[in-house]
Amino acid sequence: MVRYILRRILIAIPTLFMIAVVGYITMELPPGDYVTRYVAQLEASGQSGARERGAVLRTLYNLDDPTTVRFAHWITRFVQGDFGDSMIYQRPIRELVAERLPLTLALTFPAFILSWLIGISLGIYSATHQYSISDNVLTVLAFLGLGLPGFLIALALLVVTWRVTGNAYIGLFSGEFASAPWSLAKVLDLAKHLWIPVMVVVVTGTAWVVRVMRGNLLDELRVNYVQAVRAKGVPESTVILKHAVRNAFHPLLMALGGVLAWLISGTSIVEQVLGLPTLGPLFIQATLEQDIYLSGTILIIISFLLVLGNLLADIALAWLDPRIRFD
Amino acid sequence: MTAAIDLRTQPSGMSIEERRAMLSVNQLMWLRFRRNRLAVIGMIILIVMYTMAFFADFLAPYTVDQTHQKYVSTPPTGLQLFDTQGEFHWPPFVYGLQSKTDPDTFRRTYVPKTEELYSVHFFGHGEPYKMFGLFSTDRHFFVVDEPRKIFLLGTDSTGRDLFSRVLYGARISLSVGLVGVILSLVIGAFIGVTSGYFGGVMDNIIQRIIEVISSIPQIPLWLALAAAVPPNWSPIRVYFGIAVVLSFVTWGGLARQVRGIVLGLRDADFVIAARYANCSDLRIIVRHLLPNTLSHVLVIATVAIPGMILGETALSFLGLGIRPPMTSWGVLLNEAQHVRVLLQQPWLLMPAIFVLVTIVSFNFVGDGVRDAADPFAAA
Repeated sequence: MVRYILRRILIAIPTLFMIAVVGYITMELPPGDYVTRYVAQLEASGQSGARERGAVLRTLYNLDDPTTVRFAHWITRFVQGDFGDSMIYQRPIRELVAERLPLTLALTFPAFILSWLIGISLGIYSATHQYSISDNVLTVLAFLGLGLPGFLIALALLVVTWRVTGNAYIGLFSGEFASAPWSLAKVLDLAKHLWIPVMVVVVTGTAWVVRVMRGNLLDELRVNYVQAVRAKGVPESTVILKHAVRNAFHPLLMALGGVLAWLISGTSIVEQVLGLPTLGPLFIQATLEQDIYLSGTILIIISFLLVLGNLLADIALAWLDPRIRFD
Repeated sequence: MTAAIDLRTQPSGMSIEERRAMLSVNQLMWLRFRRNRLAVIGMIILIVMYTMAFFADFLAPYTVDQTHQKYVSTPPTGLQLFDTQGEFHWPPFVYGLQSKTDPDTFRRTYVPKTEELYSVHFFGHGEPYKMFGLFSTDRHFFVVDEPRKIFLLGTDSTGRDLFSRVLYGARISLSVGLVGVILSLVIGAFIGVTSGYFGGVMDNIIQRIIEVISSIPQIPLWLALAAAVPPNWSPIRVYFGIAVVLSFVTWGGLARQVRGIVLGLRDADFVIAARYANCSDLRIIVRHLLPNTLSHVLVIATVAIPGMILGETALSFLGLGIRPPMTSWGVLLNEAQHVRVLLQQPWLLMPAIFVLVTIVSFNFVGDGVRDAADPFAAA
């Protein structure tokens, strides 16, 4: 077991390095760079000294070095925990990320827990009542949830709430609370704004979990050991919950490996549409405006979390299921 | 193959099992697929959608970029069958439209004028266009009496008919996923077979590369790659650029699965026989190995298409994918991105319904295809 874990960690190191290379190249692919645009913008608005300012920024961000040199600089600082500065915000990336991380998790973590709890219970119900009316309704609903991208659900909900209440719940707070000190009213206002993204994420997430759980459990219920347990006279609820569900959960455990990365980036477009100050929209903005260090850093953090999550999931699975250990 | 396969038409005096045994694999697959009602419904809907996209210029009352200055941001035009007196009309008609400008906000609002009736004509004359770019005509599936215009889904802020644009947009939205899937099929199948067949160092390198690519989360990777499509590219290059971006994320998974199958087949008797018969590697791969991966590959492809269509929609929605002057559903939804606009004109969200129907249908079909691919499995 220890050898298995060590081997997996050793394999992960070169993978992470390659991810950094590929991620960085991807970020450098778009033609032009941030400072060129920034200078053009300054010149267009008629400010003097735009060129000089541009030259200073170019040296500051090493933009005139060859790509390889720039990457070497950046990655050495990156592994030391220094992510550099964002060009757009002219602030350390570490600060920007730290600022937005709590809210991102405050949104996605409860949504994740809710959707998995609801999804697993509905999946078990659906599988044990296969082809009943409720199963069919759930199946159709799950397909709808899978078919509609979250950002469209978010837009539709915005329109509906606006029609009903006359308020547009964009961003985190209504205008009057934005800079007000914390109070009960402000917390309530925050809750009013957050239920839309949480609900959207729960709906799309649940749909997927229901489908997977239902499929796995149906497969598992066909296996002979379930017959054997039933034949021994074990109550049906124990057969399902203690024997079948436990094994049907393995594929979901594998998927759990992706959840760490998902918590950070899985709902970027929904957050973007709803104007939330989370990491997803920050990444989209950085990509669009070619703030390569910012977008690169976020991309690599997410990828790192994905690799880490998959590693943890593999270890957990090997611990749960001895058949996998000696592959 | 699609002809009715009815077990009852087989020679009599046999049990169902015996009759089943006489069917070809293709027939068995079709039977399996047909048993999944939702999959069949999904397929019918998809056929209708693709036909509509194909005949978009005939079905659409207006051309894709035609603007109607007097009808900026009008709500959907309701087709009526009964007038205010309760009298039945065929063909259907639409009411006149009165525009009012709010003196305070300068916003135009529209109210129907129920005293004016304009009849809808099927196969009437309208805007001239070139069908399939080949022959000129001005016949449209339906038009309405002048001077009234008909906007089944309303118009956008420059007065373009949303319904016509949805039909034209379907051409790109429905095809870009297919092109993307074909690309990743070709790349994935080829690399997967090579990797599995030759093994060794090459296999190792290919597997590591795939591992790296699949370790970068899909949506951020799509965003980053789509941002790299230069803004000065011609529409057709952007289209294929986006298809390449979409397939970039999926080919790896496909290559892995194909590799797995080929690993299992590499030492099968028929491959060894082919090798003894002095077949070249290329011939073994193309004639013997690829066909055996086909049914599996088709399943993966069907399951991958909806994800790609959603990907295009999301990218174009953010302004990173297909961009004007090309029109896709994502481009249309892009206008709904500004929430203030959307709250005034909620009908701009209508293309979402087409996206939903397409994706759900593809998911249904994918489900059916997955079951059908293995017709010998116990149900």
